[in-house]
Amino acid sequence: MTDITFYFIALSLCVFAFLTVVSRDVFHCAVWLALTLLSISGIYFYLGAGFLGVIQILVYVGGIITLFVFAIKLTAHIGDAAIRQTNEQVIPSGIVVLILFYFLIKIVVSSPWAKIDPQAPVLSLKELGASLMTTYLLPFEFISLLLLAVMVGAIVIGRVKK
Amino acid sequence: MIPLNYFLILGAFLFCIGILGVLTRRNVVGILISIELILNAANINLVAFNKYLGTPDGLGQIFSLFVIAIAAAASVVGLVLVIAIYRNGKSVYADQYNLMKW
Repeated sequence: MTDITFYFIALSLCVFAFLTVVSRDVFHCAVWLALTLLSISGIYFYLGAGFLGVIQILVYVGGIITLFVFAIKLTAHIGDAAIRQTNEQVIPSGIVVLILFYFLIKIVVSSPWAKIDPQAPVLSLKELGASLMTTYLLPFEFISLLLLAVMVGAIVIGRVKK
Repeated sequence: MIPLNYFLILGAFLFCIGILGVLTRRNVVGILISIELILNAANINLVAFNKYLGTPDGLGQIFSLFVIAIAAAASVVGLVLVIAIYRNGKSVYADQYNLMKW
């Protein structure tokens, strides 16, 4: 039963990701990206990382997708049907991506830990927060510094100069 | 239970789709959307390794949190740059950007 859940989520994830890349209109791209990110949060829930799934929905689907929609709507005639949406490198880059995928699959299949069973106990939210505040405190603080810098930088770059 | 293999193949597929989008799209917003796909492929791998290999202190999950935060920061800066360049040059297509060429 749980296997069927995984296959359903994985199949929908693949379809949505493909549609994200190939659809012409950029606004449709953003909508398909939202569905892709929801499927990925389903994968997180399936793996027992519930907190990460909730964060994925809040930050990505709630925040970043809104940002993308605003950016698409602020830059007009962006979804005009007459304008070509891909460059002239579609066939060479398709071949390159296929070769890359082949080698990635080859490496994954031949790896020694390919068929092991899950070993880690599911980490509770309390343990996760405790390790975030003790062991990984330094990167946590650096992330807050980074977010401050990004906020200031976005305001400075996006300001209308008089 | 699903073996670790399947999650890694799923991540590889998502990564390759994202690379295809970055290489072929003309629209800069579309390129940023494809970059989000690549970062999420890395996240799937991190969470799957955390579950299957037993990393200490939930290292995989915490690194995924950091990746999500950095992805949000990156897309904010990218979209603001697109809007600023659009205000100057009225274009959103990557092959028409020549501001830094001389």
